[in-house]
Amino acid sequence: MRDNMEAKYDFERKFRDQVLQCSRCGFCQSVCPVFGATLRPAYNARGKMLLLKEVMDGTLDLNDELIETLFQCTTCGACAENCPSGVEVPEIIKQARKDMVHIGSCHPAFTGMNKVLKEHDNIYAEDEPEDFERERNGKAEYVFFIGCVGSYREDERTTATLDLLDYLEVDYTLIDEVCCSGVLEDVGHPINEKHVRTNIDLIMATGAKTVITGCPYCSRTFNNKKQYAELKEKGVKCIHLSQFLKDIDIGFKTDKKVTYHDPCDLGRHCGIYEEPRDTIRKIAPNFVEMRHHHEKALCCGAGGGVRGAYAANSIAMARRRLEEAEEAGAEVLLTECNSCVHNLANAKLRKQKLKIYTTTEFINLLREED
Amino acid sequence: MEVQGYNMPEDLYYEENHLWVREEGDLLVLGMDDFAQRMAGDIVYVQLPDEGKRLKKGKKFAKLESGKWLGKAFAPVNGELVEVNEDLEINPGLINEDCYGEGWMYKVKPDDKAELGDLIKGAEAIEKWIAADLEKYAQE
Amino acid sequence: MEDRLKKALIEIVGEKNYNDSLIDMVSYSYDASEYTHRPSCGVWPQTVEHVSEILKLANKEEMPVIPRGGATGLTGMAIPLKGGIVLDLNHMNRIKKISIEDRLVVVEPGVVYDDLARAIAPYGFFFPPDPASSQVCTLGGNVATNAGGVRGAKYGTTRDYVLGLQVVLPDGRIMKTGSQCIKSVSGYDLTKLFVGSEGTLGVVTEITLKINPMTTASTTALGTFDDVEDAGRAVSQVMHSGILPAVLEILGKEAIMAINQNTDLNLPEVDAILLSETDGYTQEETDYQMSKVLEVFKANNAKEIKQAQSKDEAAGLWAARKSAYAVLARLKTHQVLEDVTVPMSRLAEALKGIQEISKKHNIMIATYGHAGDGNLHPQFVYDGYDQDQVKAKRAASDDLFRMAIELGGTLTGEHGIGMQKARYMCWEHDDVAMDVMRSIKRMVDPKNILNPGKMALDEG
Repeated sequence: MRDNMEAKYDFERKFRDQVLQCSRCGFCQSVCPVFGATLRPAYNARGKMLLLKEVMDGTLDLNDELIETLFQCTTCGACAENCPSGVEVPEIIKQARKDMVHIGSCHPAFTGMNKVLKEHDNIYAEDEPEDFERERNGKAEYVFFIGCVGSYREDERTTATLDLLDYLEVDYTLIDEVCCSGVLEDVGHPINEKHVRTNIDLIMATGAKTVITGCPYCSRTFNNKKQYAELKEKGVKCIHLSQFLKDIDIGFKTDKKVTYHDPCDLGRHCGIYEEPRDTIRKIAPNFVEMRHHHEKALCCGAGGGVRGAYAANSIAMARRRLEEAEEAGAEVLLTECNSCVHNLANAKLRKQKLKIYTTTEFINLLREED
Repeated sequence: MEVQGYNMPEDLYYEENHLWVREEGDLLVLGMDDFAQRMAGDIVYVQLPDEGKRLKKGKKFAKLESGKWLGKAFAPVNGELVEVNEDLEINPGLINEDCYGEGWMYKVKPDDKAELGDLIKGAEAIEKWIAADLEKYAQE
Repeated sequence: MEDRLKKALIEIVGEKNYNDSLIDMVSYSYDASEYTHRPSCGVWPQTVEHVSEILKLANKEEMPVIPRGGATGLTGMAIPLKGGIVLDLNHMNRIKKISIEDRLVVVEPGVVYDDLARAIAPYGFFFPPDPASSQVCTLGGNVATNAGGVRGAKYGTTRDYVLGLQVVLPDGRIMKTGSQCIKSVSGYDLTKLFVGSEGTLGVVTEITLKINPMTTASTTALGTFDDVEDAGRAVSQVMHSGILPAVLEILGKEAIMAINQNTDLNLPEVDAILLSETDGYTQEETDYQMSKVLEVFKANNAKEIKQAQSKDEAAGLWAARKSAYAVLARLKTHQVLEDVTVPMSRLAEALKGIQEISKKHNIMIATYGHAGDGNLHPQFVYDGYDQDQVKAKRAASDDLFRMAIELGGTLTGEHGIGMQKARYMCWEHDDVAMDVMRSIKRMVDPKNILNPGKMALDEG
């Protein structure tokens, strides 16, 4: 037993007690989206903790063979939420990923992503952002920060959001934004300081006091990463779109049965559950919850880099979430995260009559029907 | 036939954004060619629009994704989408495994079959087109 | 894993249902117990035919096979102690039939308990034996260990509900036991032999379970006790109250403290809490039953009595109770859970005895459990890296089982023997019984390939 030896990796230094606290009860199996979609215990939180325990004990070493499980975790946090023994699995995994990258062991998708962000300003290496035909870098009360998924993969939904903001006469400007690069720290790499700098400078230049993000990942990055602390210090607030909309009485209504999917980044990671529901309940009185909701929401499978590295399993996870929407009898599924909506929409089968929108996209649709 | 290592059957028509076209009775069968499939990598999602959708020649009518790339399918002719390969819903990888066979994507009823004449056809045309594309990608 | 055998297994289940990569082998080396051993490979059978072919092959090659479900067992039942093939049954997870009129369900072994509960709830039915691990445990495992749960005192254990099985014997032959009838005495009761056999006599591939109509009303209450012996006596005397509560659980001080760390319940940190639930069809009835229970509590010096005011509050208390094993892991690096069971009349003595053993060996023993059927869960909580504590735990275990047997009790009420209690089997069972058990094992598994090394079956 390596108890008396020097800790070899940072994950041991920071989280040794927690890894030991794992009682192997297996309760995490009932909530882990990756295990739920694959039934492979190696992917489950317990399986990951067992591996790390063996690394700590010196039986195993971190190596390439561990990539398949250590980098296949959406960091959704459902395991930690459900763990009676108090193991904060996602934090441990993120640190273990940093240790892996440090020894040169990383999933090629993330090594690739790190490289892409060094050479481009978005995770897709696209050179031309969609032109949303709006002003960029102007002066306004709000900055609307779109995020990579919204700019390059869900441009139609972003246009709908911007149309709605225009209708509500919000004084906002877009900026020549670059990737918030928050995802890098979740997959073992350091945040991209150059991109952080670019974003902060562009935001400050607009004179805006509030940044509204369309993507919970971005808002979590702006609020929690120390590299973006300067914004707060300079009096700039960062909120997610759902928090902005919640007090506005938009006025459109539908009698369709609507359900809401809590994005992990908005829900479990930021505690924002009610604001999106406030808005949705106003427009859709016939609101139903899925079997797993609020802190127990089932992850859509896109997060933590999994959609990029393990797309097939990612989509399989999204399919399980859609089954819950169908089980609840929902005709419409709304969510507040472009990553979620992208993965869920890709996963929807043709025979499923359910419609999937972001909340603002749906509101805009109702407005256009009016 | 093989062009610079890519399998590009001579008897098919090709739309310049790398859809192949084959006549099947009244209909046209469309799919992704070997060049594109290899560039894209493992296809993870193929959009399968509803039957009856109108296709406008030269315009995008569907999208597809691999792990790192978002691609668009452009209509090679004017017509109507009559059938899609539903197997691709659960197994989009068929496009990588067998892009000219089991990985077929769409069936279209063309307004005017003569429009096929505007597409790339024949060994010489295919070779020139692939060579040009390879150069274009090498520069990027 | 020999290439030839690997090929043969892939031939049976297909390449994507075979694995021997490092990360899988590590997972398969563990269950919820303290034990570990590497297997050679894992396979995911999809059908009973797969299971049969695999066992035929393993029998021919004399390769161990270890069935595995949710792997929530606490005694090392699913550990591949002699290496071999882990038979991961989680892909066989269909509920094949629900027949309300026949009062039964037919399930594959990989069905998770909570999934079954959710499937039959809309019909107003439930499957009573619900282990604490119900959100992850699989029914194949429940059958293998005759799982109990909190409702044991009134509703019995898994064995009372298994009407029939489909079993694959170690030589690959497929056998049906029992019937679809509520009762049958046709031939030897093979069903009851396999229930609780811990995967050593056959692999269960289909289970027919009797289900019960749900009760619609319940009352939940707790009593606090400053002396654990008072609590023990209260439990015994509930038997004189004229009613049988559906649940009667005990929580000792350490368990209470650990639960408080994990929840907002703020339970009073006393020597013992008794948590009870009565069930029936009207609130009047369940309240009446509970009043009888609470009279017994009061007569035994219960300091505080509290009734849950809502279904949510009751649910919160039961969720907390079910988390007791894992929350105790917050306290020290290692924990080992026992489940000695004693006759109801000896409960107070058993509780006192556990406290004395803990003092004698200077090791923490948190106690909780299904007091209502005499099934205690003393949990050793210690620093597993400290060799003195490891020795103390070993000695304390010996004393614990000695005491339990002296009180007329048994080594295990519901967790099974596995690896954990194998060496104590001959303390509880006489030589003749051990000989008969080993003979039965040898008869169905002459090459000892199915889950070898467990239950002290290999010795003698």
